Amino acid sequence: MHAGFIFLAVIVGSVLFHIFTPWWWTDIASNWGAMDDTINLTFWIGGGVFILVCLFMVYCVFKFSYKEGRKVEYKPEDHKLEKILTIATTIGIIALLAPGLIVYKNYIDTPKNALHVEVNAWQWGWQYRLPGEDGILGTAQVAKISDDNPFGINLDDPNGKDDILIQSDELHLKTDKPVKILLRSLDVLHNFYVPQFRAKMDAIPGIISYYWFEPNKVGEYEVLCAEYCGVGHYGMRAIVIVDSEENYENWINEQETFSSLIAKQDNNKLKTTRIAKNNN
Amino acid sequence: MSDHTLDKLPGGYKGMAADMSSDQTAFKGVQWGKTMMWIFLLSDTFIFSCFLISYMKGRASTVVDWPNTSEVFSLHVGDVPVPLLLIAIMTFVLITSSGTMALAVKYGYERNRKMCAWLILATAIGGLTFVGMQAFEWSKLIHEGVRPWENPFGAKQFGSFFFMITGFHGTHVSIGVIFLFIFARKTFRGDFDTGKRGFFTTMKSDYVAIEILGLYWHFVDLVWVFIFAFFYLW
Amino acid sequence: MPDEYNQKNTPLEAQSSETMSGSSGSTTDIDYVRPAEVPEQDLYHGHSFITKWVFCQDAKVIGIQYFLTAVFTGIVGLILSWLMRLQLGFPELVPFITAEHYYQFVTMHGMIMIVYFLTALFLGGFGNYLVPLMVGARDMVFPYVNMVSFWMFFIAVCVLMASFFVPGGPTGAGWTLYPPQAILPGSPGSGIGIILMLVSLSLFVIGFTMGGLNYLITILQARTRGMTLMRMPLTIWGIFTATALAMLAFPALLVSCIMMTLDKVLETSFFMPAIIQAGEVLDYGGGSPVLFQHLFWFFGHPEVYIVALPAFGIVSDLISVHARKNIFGYRMMVWAIVGIGALSFFVWAHHMYVSGMNPWFGFFFATTTLIIAVPTALKVYNWIITLFKANIRMNTVMLFCLGFIVTFVNGGITGIFLGNVAVDIPLSDTYFVIAHFHMVMGIAPLMVIMGAVYHWFPLVTGRMLNERLGKWHFWFTFLGAYSIYFPMHYLGFIGVPRRYFEMYDSPYVTSATGLNEFITVAALIVGISQFIFIYNIITSLKMGKPAGKNPWKANSLEWLTHEVPPTHGNWGENLPVVHRWPYDFNVPGAKEDYITQTTAPSEVLGAEVEKT
Repeated sequence: MHAGFIFLAVIVGSVLFHIFTPWWWTDIASNWGAMDDTINLTFWIGGGVFILVCLFMVYCVFKFSYKEGRKVEYKPEDHKLEKILTIATTIGIIALLAPGLIVYKNYIDTPKNALHVEVNAWQWGWQYRLPGEDGILGTAQVAKISDDNPFGINLDDPNGKDDILIQSDELHLKTDKPVKILLRSLDVLHNFYVPQFRAKMDAIPGIISYYWFEPNKVGEYEVLCAEYCGVGHYGMRAIVIVDSEENYENWINEQETFSSLIAKQDNNKLKTTRIAKNNN
Repeated sequence: MSDHTLDKLPGGYKGMAADMSSDQTAFKGVQWGKTMMWIFLLSDTFIFSCFLISYMKGRASTVVDWPNTSEVFSLHVGDVPVPLLLIAIMTFVLITSSGTMALAVKYGYERNRKMCAWLILATAIGGLTFVGMQAFEWSKLIHEGVRPWENPFGAKQFGSFFFMITGFHGTHVSIGVIFLFIFARKTFRGDFDTGKRGFFTTMKSDYVAIEILGLYWHFVDLVWVFIFAFFYLW
Repeated sequence: MPDEYNQKNTPLEAQSSETMSGSSGSTTDIDYVRPAEVPEQDLYHGHSFITKWVFCQDAKVIGIQYFLTAVFTGIVGLILSWLMRLQLGFPELVPFITAEHYYQFVTMHGMIMIVYFLTALFLGGFGNYLVPLMVGARDMVFPYVNMVSFWMFFIAVCVLMASFFVPGGPTGAGWTLYPPQAILPGSPGSGIGIILMLVSLSLFVIGFTMGGLNYLITILQARTRGMTLMRMPLTIWGIFTATALAMLAFPALLVSCIMMTLDKVLETSFFMPAIIQAGEVLDYGGGSPVLFQHLFWFFGHPEVYIVALPAFGIVSDLISVHARKNIFGYRMMVWAIVGIGALSFFVWAHHMYVSGMNPWFGFFFATTTLIIAVPTALKVYNWIITLFKANIRMNTVMLFCLGFIVTFVNGGITGIFLGNVAVDIPLSDTYFVIAHFHMVMGIAPLMVIMGAVYHWFPLVTGRMLNERLGKWHFWFTFLGAYSIYFPMHYLGFIGVPRRYFEMYDSPYVTSATGLNEFITVAALIVGISQFIFIYNIITSLKMGKPAGKNPWKANSLEWLTHEVPPTHGNWGENLPVVHRWPYDFNVPGAKEDYITQTTAPSEVLGAEVEKT
């Protein structure tokens, strides 16, 4: 009999833990509030089923514990009951699935006006590339990467010349403007994940994956790599700063473009060759 | 179970349902070994399917062009390159060996020991010829510079998939050839007539064993048809 | 062949399933059961210690060998989990746990527990012991192959354990072994370690195929007289379906292992695209990492059910026996097992919602995944309805069954979160996932395994386990494990990613330090409490109360052998003849509260048996 009480305590304890838990979502900072809503919906329906099933079980434990000579029901099947349970479960499942699929549809439909941001992941760090004034990222290949060309941009591609290169951990985004994150990896799988934005996607070497969100709260957020990528995985952090429009413009104007990078390097090369010549 | 009762089994879906809902066996009159071979082959089908689907995916997504197979696999007769010549002969030999295997099974059940044994031997030799020609083709490609990790004619996945899948299939054929030789010897010796107990099992030898080996052999041939189609004709 | 088999020679077609059942058949002989179709099996009886206990062809001994080997690997896995938890709860407390070691522990813990412990234990251990007994066969149909199967498994375990001692240590690629990192220097053990892991898995698959063919053919073709498929205990249905899944899912694992081994050893590029690592362009190019994920999860998802289905089956039997009531909705239970098994081949990419595969797949796989929830939920309903108006013995076995229901329902419901693609996106790769799968395929099947050990120990050894110790063991394990994994979901809600060696001062985890410490302490307690179990087993072997025949008053065949524990060949002179399903408990009109499967209808004339 006391076993029933302990099981009851487990169920009550679970509910109380849920109500009083200090550990809950980080405050959302993107447009994916709908994801939180679907989770909450799943929580209420699922949690309800959990409580009902377990309470029924506990009831049986209290009511039907072994007693010599107790009259036991002998009823191998009950088609009506089985049918009702099947239908009820199916309805519940549809109620959970349908909203989820609608949210997912939004997730894979990127708005046309989204700002493209390329995230480059490597063991173990991040770098970013934004399109310049033409709004188009130049094509790039891993094989073309070198010290002079850290993103492997095709030199023949005119779209790549004005691309803005950010070789630091810090990425700025404009608030209330949808962003399409294009993910590239130079070596192994990574995942660009900011818990407050809710969204995530793996970066895979060889292909470009994407997802989108709309940051809607100015602030500073930590980026975590969410796909195991070797021994430095846990240290693969970065910062995303969501700016107001004005601050964002200030920041982006300070960044270097691919053509200026090339020019600078050519200058350096020129200098070194000149020094070499002078030395001769 | 005697053949007499087998004749009276109901046929069609009703028969199948009756068998499934009956006691003792789900497949009436099918020996354990034969059931095992069928299920094993089903599992093996999944292995080859995984290989071939990976091959299709690999070929579809590679960044470098796939080599022109009718050139890579051609054989020079004099100075004229004849595409698919070797492979046509290989396929012909393997399919023929399936025919001799089927005849061996037939003669086995007719208790025609000699004929059965010779046909098994013929099958084994057919299989051996196939493996030999495959070795020839491998050495020709290797001679031309194709390796699992590189390929002078195009995408390096060509070499990887070709050697891996034909190698895996060739292993199947080789294992089959070994068993065919063993079975030929057993048949000559008359093990299947006397019901001698096998080395690996306490069960009595029976001519059904030849049919089981035949199932395996036909399967290996069938898989080759798919490999042939996907590698040489695509 | 014994003479009684030849007494009647009615043609097959005259045997509709009704006449075979005996209860409602011809009035002339209600006990009639069709004669034997298959001749008696010849068995090889061992004579020396080696042939009796080492290279033994008796499925029962092979089952015990599987069981002990699997438990050994399980203890290794348990110790690895302690080390991981120590690092997570109390970072830098144990200096030798470096990031490399931590990831090696993570990987080996996962692989050991899923493949070498749970799969081997359920199918190799319980499967071998119970299948021939429960279907009324003398042994597995191919005893020699069965023996080789175990030794292949044993070699696979040795190869796996050897990787702890090679230079570079075992692989630290995560149990999913995703390329490219699994075979590149950025991961620990990416040299010999990963090769040994892949070889070991391939050996496991080969060994398992041998065993699996045995289980399948024994169930399909070697049942005893009167044992129809629909009279088999659900344990057998679970093992049967799980084995069928394994036969079709392991090929994908084997293929991915072969291909990755070639990528590592021969530098082929099946899964390897162009890569620049540490400033150096590698010799790879053109391969697809996502292809590996598809192959792996085509194995990996059915693998979940390979572990779960035997647990479903066994727990159904345990509940029915100890609640002294027939399992509710037997036919639906069978079809649910088969349906879950079939559907499990169409859901694999729900592990890959954020993998970068074509996003449109998400719709299909979310739908199929949630469809699986329906038969699974029905099974849960049937278990608890079985308890309703029953006569429940509150012994250790039943406690473990109840513990299973609580943890399974909990883990099943969090599965609905993760199956629903939009909900999965924020939660995937966080501790929510860890909590979910440990609850549903770690703790829940473990509850069943332990319940099953308490249940069948008297059969295997002839002695009972100590009830009092058993109850202590249960409460420690259940409450401990629940308090590990229930709060862990909330770490996932915060957004703590999995496979993090350490969180530094990230805001996500500083708030959860206390929780992490608590979980670690609980994990240590649960681990240590398993020694109560081991102590109980060891002492009961010699000093346990003698069990006698059929101590639980169960109906199924394994309890009805002539000798307890059953000897080689199981049944003495004659095979048992089955007249009914194994769930005739408390049948109205029957004198006792149970009617065994071999009880002929004429012996229980007054009983109002509804179905068989």
